[in-house]
Amino acid sequence: MARQEARAAKLFLIPAFLGLTFLTYLPLLAVFILSFFKWTAIMPQPIFIGFNNYIKLFTRDPFFWTSMKVTLLYAVLSVGISMIYSLTLAMLLNRKMPARGFFRAVFYVPYIVPAMAVYMSWGLLYNPDFGVFNALLASHGINKIAFLADSKFIIPSLAVIAVWACGNLIVIFLAGLGNVPRVYHEAAEIDGASGWQRFINITIPCMTPIIFYNLLMSLIANMQVVVPSLIYAGSNRTTYPEYTFMSFMMYRTGFINNDMSYAAAISFIFFLLIGVFTLVLFATSKSWLFYEEGDK
Amino acid sequence: MKKGFRFLGLAIVLTMMLPLFAGLAALAEDRTTITYSMWGNDEELRVLNEAIAKFESEQDKIHVQAIQIDRADYVGTLNTRVAGNDLPDTGIMAEDAVLMWAQQGMLADASNMYAADEPKPLDSLAFTFEGKPVGYSVANEILLLYYDKKAFADAGVTPPPGNADTTWDWDTFVDVAKQMTLDVNGNNAKSPDFDANNIKRYGVMFCPDFWQLEEWSVTNGGAWYDKDGNVTINTPEAMEGLQRVADLALVDHVAPQYGTNTATTIDQDMVAGNTAMYVNGQWSIGVWLANAQKTDGLDYGIGVLPYMKDKVTLNTGGVNVAFATSKHPEEAMTWLKWYAKEENAWGLISSGIWMPVNSSYYTDEALTHKWVDNPNFPPYAEYKSAVVDYAFGYAKPASWYWVNNTNLFNDALSTILAPCWSGNETVADAITQNIDVLKAAHEGM
Repeated sequence: MARQEARAAKLFLIPAFLGLTFLTYLPLLAVFILSFFKWTAIMPQPIFIGFNNYIKLFTRDPFFWTSMKVTLLYAVLSVGISMIYSLTLAMLLNRKMPARGFFRAVFYVPYIVPAMAVYMSWGLLYNPDFGVFNALLASHGINKIAFLADSKFIIPSLAVIAVWACGNLIVIFLAGLGNVPRVYHEAAEIDGASGWQRFINITIPCMTPIIFYNLLMSLIANMQVVVPSLIYAGSNRTTYPEYTFMSFMMYRTGFINNDMSYAAAISFIFFLLIGVFTLVLFATSKSWLFYEEGDK
Repeated sequence: MKKGFRFLGLAIVLTMMLPLFAGLAALAEDRTTITYSMWGNDEELRVLNEAIAKFESEQDKIHVQAIQIDRADYVGTLNTRVAGNDLPDTGIMAEDAVLMWAQQGMLADASNMYAADEPKPLDSLAFTFEGKPVGYSVANEILLLYYDKKAFADAGVTPPPGNADTTWDWDTFVDVAKQMTLDVNGNNAKSPDFDANNIKRYGVMFCPDFWQLEEWSVTNGGAWYDKDGNVTINTPEAMEGLQRVADLALVDHVAPQYGTNTATTIDQDMVAGNTAMYVNGQWSIGVWLANAQKTDGLDYGIGVLPYMKDKVTLNTGGVNVAFATSKHPEEAMTWLKWYAKEENAWGLISSGIWMPVNSSYYTDEALTHKWVDNPNFPPYAEYKSAVVDYAFGYAKPASWYWVNNTNLFNDALSTILAPCWSGNETVADAITQNIDVLKAAHEGM
């Protein structure tokens, strides 16, 4: 019976395996191989150039290190604030309150609004001359701010948009909070624990698998940020260094400027960078991840 | 109800089969089928298909099949088609990609497209690679200074001249822009009570398309490249021209910080009263302003650009090319040559999107009248001097007509200049410190 089940499982895994092989692993391998060539998509034949693309990337490309820096800065800022914001909101929305379903929907909706609409709308709100935020600042005698066109403000302003749209994290946190055993809280209450003590010693430990999942997914998604660059910078527009995210660099190099092999090198380094962060997260998680069964 | 669905289904199937029928018809007539790729909306596709129908009615050898590709993915899609060995025979091409494609041997030589005695597009519209033309712009578009007539009348300020002979120098332009810039209390930028932090209407706005900035280096007697294609943007004249644009926002407070008005278009800013003047290309009439005039009552005027040292406007236009991979090069050139004639692309010209490419439309008054006398355009006299004569007498080609890798150069330059628009760096410092980066980008490295 077990053998039969194993055989069936293998059978059902074949489509997924084929899909992963042909749509993920082989293209990844092809990208890696391509990064050792010079190929502009319209060249008749790729030319083998060894590590030249990587040497150029690390030593001569004036925008690569900036790109890496702004990508990491944006990811850390967006993920950090999103995690705190979404957990706080999830805690509030988990309480018994009138119209709880409505409020849960309200905070989830930004996540499903098309990205183009989100960024266009925020672009109008952030407008230095006619936007709402600057009108508020002006009414208090504060100088206007070019939120999306001043190096000091671009990354924080984009992070605010990312935080605003993190309804998916809230929903997952809510699901996790629903699974924190009520009996622990009751026992702690009897022992006189305060709300904060219960949050730190019961809620957070019980939520660590959910926190880990949200952290991982959010980090990967935010490191791959590209939409704000396409909308606020893009080709043929002023591109502040803060918009040169790695995904954008990769897209612009490969698909706008035709240098597919150099874009392949960028994407491979980008892949490694995300891989390193993921590994670090997995490695450190052993020290803070708790499972209900008692495993640490 | 069921019948209705059946009918609808049948209609969809038949519609989808139309290209097949067209292809079969071409086969039956023994025509050679060539393809032509274009960007543009469905309306532009409809106009193109009308032109194709006319072309096919005038000869029985060639059938043209239009391929519509989204503008944002246009060059990327063509790249993919190269990889799939499925490049069209002909097509329109983004200006900044033309010479790169020519360098890779992907474009056919257009030297023999026109015989010596044949009327052909203006020389300034030829994209040349290694001294040979590889394509001609489909339109002779120039940069202009649009303005809100009502705003100027209300302010009692003389509007921008519509004639290059009397155009404003830069200082006059800045002075007028100051008069037209208003804060929320109604003070203009010359008033001591002017609140630069609460501007309601700017004197001028610039289209954020980055390549247009080259204009301000050129009018200041500089250039981004010399005639041999060497980088010269680090000359004092070229850098000063750009700094003056930055200073319109930083010093004079008559324009928004350069590049920040990306969420709105010229018609929206003018209709909303966000600006009194706006610098953008002639195509603005066909794409936005004619419609804004009809639907929003925008009373816009056209002036020539102000100048610093030289009176000049840049000309540009998407390029029609024949791809070197075409198996039907003669037919491809025949079609492109036919389509370059104004009467065969009249829909796009009469709508105000394209400007004619042959000199006769600029010199023969009857042809100029034929072009301009339609409700989409401002009055003839105004358009004639501010656009027709200005284009013919003062236009210089944008650098991508003879310089390769302008896309890489502009990408690098746009990032290098970014701190200058917010005043964190001067244009001279930014360019001087990064000139090697710009030269490397220009070399395609």
